[in-house]
Amino acid sequence: MAGLIFDIREFAVHDGPGIRTTVFLKGCPLSCVWCHNPEGQSCIPQDIHSPAGSRTAGIEYSAKDLAALLNRQAEVLRANEGGVTFSGGEPLLQAGFVAEVIDLLDDLHVVLDTSGYGSEIDFRRLLERVDLVYYDLKLIDPEAHRVYTGADNQIILQNLKELSASGVPFVIRVPLVPGVTDTHANLVAIAALVSGLPGLVRVDLLPYNRAAGAKYKAAGMEFRAQYNEASPVNADTGVFERAGVKVRVA
Amino acid sequence: MNPRIEELKRRVRDGDHRSKRQGDPIDILEECEAERLSWPKRAARLAVRQCEAETVVIAAEEEIVFTRTLPAAIPPVFSQADWERLCAGRTLHELGPINNICADWGKVLAQGLLGRRDTALASLEMYRDDPQAVEFLEAAIETLEGVLGLAARYAQTARQIGRLDLAVILERVPAAPAQTFREALQALRLLHAVVWLCGHYHVGLGRFDQYMWPYLKADLASGNLDEARAYDLLAEFFISLNKDSDLYPGVQQGDNGQTLTLGGVDRAGKPAVNPLTYLALRVSRDLGMIDPKINLRISAHTDLDLLCLASELTRKGLGFPQYSNDDVVIHGLVAHGYNLEDARDYAVAACWEFLIPGWGMDVVNIGAVSFPAAVDQAIRQGLGAGEELAGIILRVKSEIEGQVQRLAAVYERLLLPPAPYYSVLMSDCLERGKDLSTGARYNNYGIHGAGAANAADALSAVQEFVFREGSVRPEDLLDALDANYEGYEELRLKLAELGPKVGNDDDRADAFMVLLFDLFAGACESYGLTSRGGMLRPGTGSAMYYLWLAQGRDGMREPLVGATAEGRRKGQPLGANLAPSQGIRIRGPISVLLSFAKLDNRRACNGGPITMELSDSVFRDEESIRKVAMLVRTFAQSGCQQLQLNSLNVDTLREARAHPELHKNLIVRVWGWSGYFCELSEEYQDQIIARHMYRDI
Repeated sequence: MAGLIFDIREFAVHDGPGIRTTVFLKGCPLSCVWCHNPEGQSCIPQDIHSPAGSRTAGIEYSAKDLAALLNRQAEVLRANEGGVTFSGGEPLLQAGFVAEVIDLLDDLHVVLDTSGYGSEIDFRRLLERVDLVYYDLKLIDPEAHRVYTGADNQIILQNLKELSASGVPFVIRVPLVPGVTDTHANLVAIAALVSGLPGLVRVDLLPYNRAAGAKYKAAGMEFRAQYNEASPVNADTGVFERAGVKVRVA
Repeated sequence: MNPRIEELKRRVRDGDHRSKRQGDPIDILEECEAERLSWPKRAARLAVRQCEAETVVIAAEEEIVFTRTLPAAIPPVFSQADWERLCAGRTLHELGPINNICADWGKVLAQGLLGRRDTALASLEMYRDDPQAVEFLEAAIETLEGVLGLAARYAQTARQIGRLDLAVILERVPAAPAQTFREALQALRLLHAVVWLCGHYHVGLGRFDQYMWPYLKADLASGNLDEARAYDLLAEFFISLNKDSDLYPGVQQGDNGQTLTLGGVDRAGKPAVNPLTYLALRVSRDLGMIDPKINLRISAHTDLDLLCLASELTRKGLGFPQYSNDDVVIHGLVAHGYNLEDARDYAVAACWEFLIPGWGMDVVNIGAVSFPAAVDQAIRQGLGAGEELAGIILRVKSEIEGQVQRLAAVYERLLLPPAPYYSVLMSDCLERGKDLSTGARYNNYGIHGAGAANAADALSAVQEFVFREGSVRPEDLLDALDANYEGYEELRLKLAELGPKVGNDDDRADAFMVLLFDLFAGACESYGLTSRGGMLRPGTGSAMYYLWLAQGRDGMREPLVGATAEGRRKGQPLGANLAPSQGIRIRGPISVLLSFAKLDNRRACNGGPITMELSDSVFRDEESIRKVAMLVRTFAQSGCQQLQLNSLNVDTLREARAHPELHKNLIVRVWGWSGYFCELSEEYQDQIIARHMYRDI
């Protein structure tokens, strides 16, 4: 089986424990207005032009080739408490491919970094194969979720239950977008939802990065911030602590 | 840091001490001529008069003194005409005076200059029938007196102004053996500064944590010092090394070779990391000053704690520590004829070359082999003659051999001026009655191997597109090269962006790089011994040659290269040291390490680091810093030789370009050395900005 990859990045220090190599799978069912990986959204290859030169985001790999490439580093990744992270885009969109790659990996710790938006079958298929999940929760209010991500959050909330029941440890990641996801009400709702969930390692709050729009032009896309980028972010850890949830600002 | 240290640092940063500087160099030519002095005696006279001409500067609150007041220019000891006669038909290394080696500081501190004088006097007795030895030893003793006189004047002034603490120390050292950490630091400051006054440069500080630790250890044990006090003294010493660096010669400011080497194993092979290793790293991290530059010797088994501390220093953006891997270097040195105990005692010279303090009179940088020029000639001639890859490789081999032979031939006529004072500081020059310039235990020459990634990528492009795919016709490639790719942009992009490249752990390209270094090592080995009885040591560094070989430089002995087959246009810089070709995309540092780990470092053992910039986002928190430390450990575990890590942020650099006045303190490691970014000329700034960043676009 072949998969579409828009980047492979080594020494991805923020994508899980230890030294990791992250595979970015191209294509995402969501279209979050703050997306900082715009070249990951579309499911077809895309040319990126910048002063640094041009390249194509979206290279097709066979599962065998990708696994071979990752296995070349297996010894280094294992020796340094790390492994491989599948991110995106949305890896669930290419779950069959990802599963095949994981099955070919040489005993490597695997992190799945997902929005949770995917079919239950696909999600389960990957849960059986990964060691840790980075699970995004953006907005609890269904309407707001539709507005800002272009999709319903029902699937995501349902998959969260699957995740918690699966026994695979997981980290909840909340992108803090000023005035959108960082509202008190949203944070309280997230804290209430995840509090006490079996398997929850912690919540990571990810304050908005103003470089979010940096790649749009190169990808031939337009970035329209539908919020005030300059507003201070409400990284209120207290909400989570009061709910008995381990939290940190990443 | 306490307020006293902050204030000392501020003064040096602001250049307060520069107001004490004298305007003109002294003139000693007349007396040298009048007394018809021999060359060794002239060299000694220079040392003495320079010491005498120094005015004493003791700034308030300074506990380790010496401030250079003499200007940068070193007074000549021969008339221009005589100098030209002396040098006729000979090769001077760079500026001429012995440079880029390392003294036996431990021995001098332990014996004191009076102890060294006793040794000289004993030798004088022993070699009294050897006029050359007598002349050398007399000259050496004369220089000793000069330094002792300088110390005495400092002591006297200290006493006059009521600084008894200083006076007592300067009345003891550097004459007598140092007895405390403070005395050892004071002695070293003075002894080291005088080497520069004699016109030597790139004066290394050697294995500082090894030879200094006994003094600190005794002080801590006796209660003479506590850790905070030791920290302050060391900080003051480090600050003092930044005072005079603008007076030192170098390619650019910052290139002054004030390096010290930490960690590693002792002469018996036992781990030698001690509390001073940690202290020196901490002080360097907290000060954030450009001198001294730090080299850390590590191995696959080095504690992650030490590497975490070192990574915190990397985070400061000073461009050091630079790491060298004992597991590889020691074996490499032994393979080059170094005895095992000496090899274990190696230090790093100004940039990256390995040498043995006290025992090495190696000239570690006699020039560079241009791999791109060798490969380019071979490709043009080989393709022109209708040859296959094997024919081209044969041509590469003979090109490299030719380059090595031409460089070595020039240095067969090397002329090193006598160096009586530096000889005092070496392990056995006085003992043998021989000036350092006549040689020491190790007299090897080092040759850089520059542009390996570019050259390997060029061979890989030819193999891939001309021979394997057949998608590029030889005549089209040759025409494109001749035209500097004007009108061949599509072909250029294909060559530059497609196909296997060094740095992506792709054997198809890496194998060519391995081959190039093997051919280089073979050429050095088959050359045999030089006229100074040493070997040629092939290295993996590029120094400035990554620019010079591409853009030319006055008087350059190395061949200039035009457009090359990896899609590089004429004039575009090569990759620096061991780094992928500029402008290619790589996945990241793991693949880079795995690519360069394929080299046979036992054969290429003149040093030359894998050079990487990590975005400063990588250093954001403790957990990430620990990962940087793991990356460094991976470097050692994968069998690489040397690593230069920098923490850089492209935005910061661009901002600094736009507003240099706001970024005076921004320091970058350029290749073997660090410099103030805003003081670098534009082309270097461009290069640094363009260099790979292992991060987003």
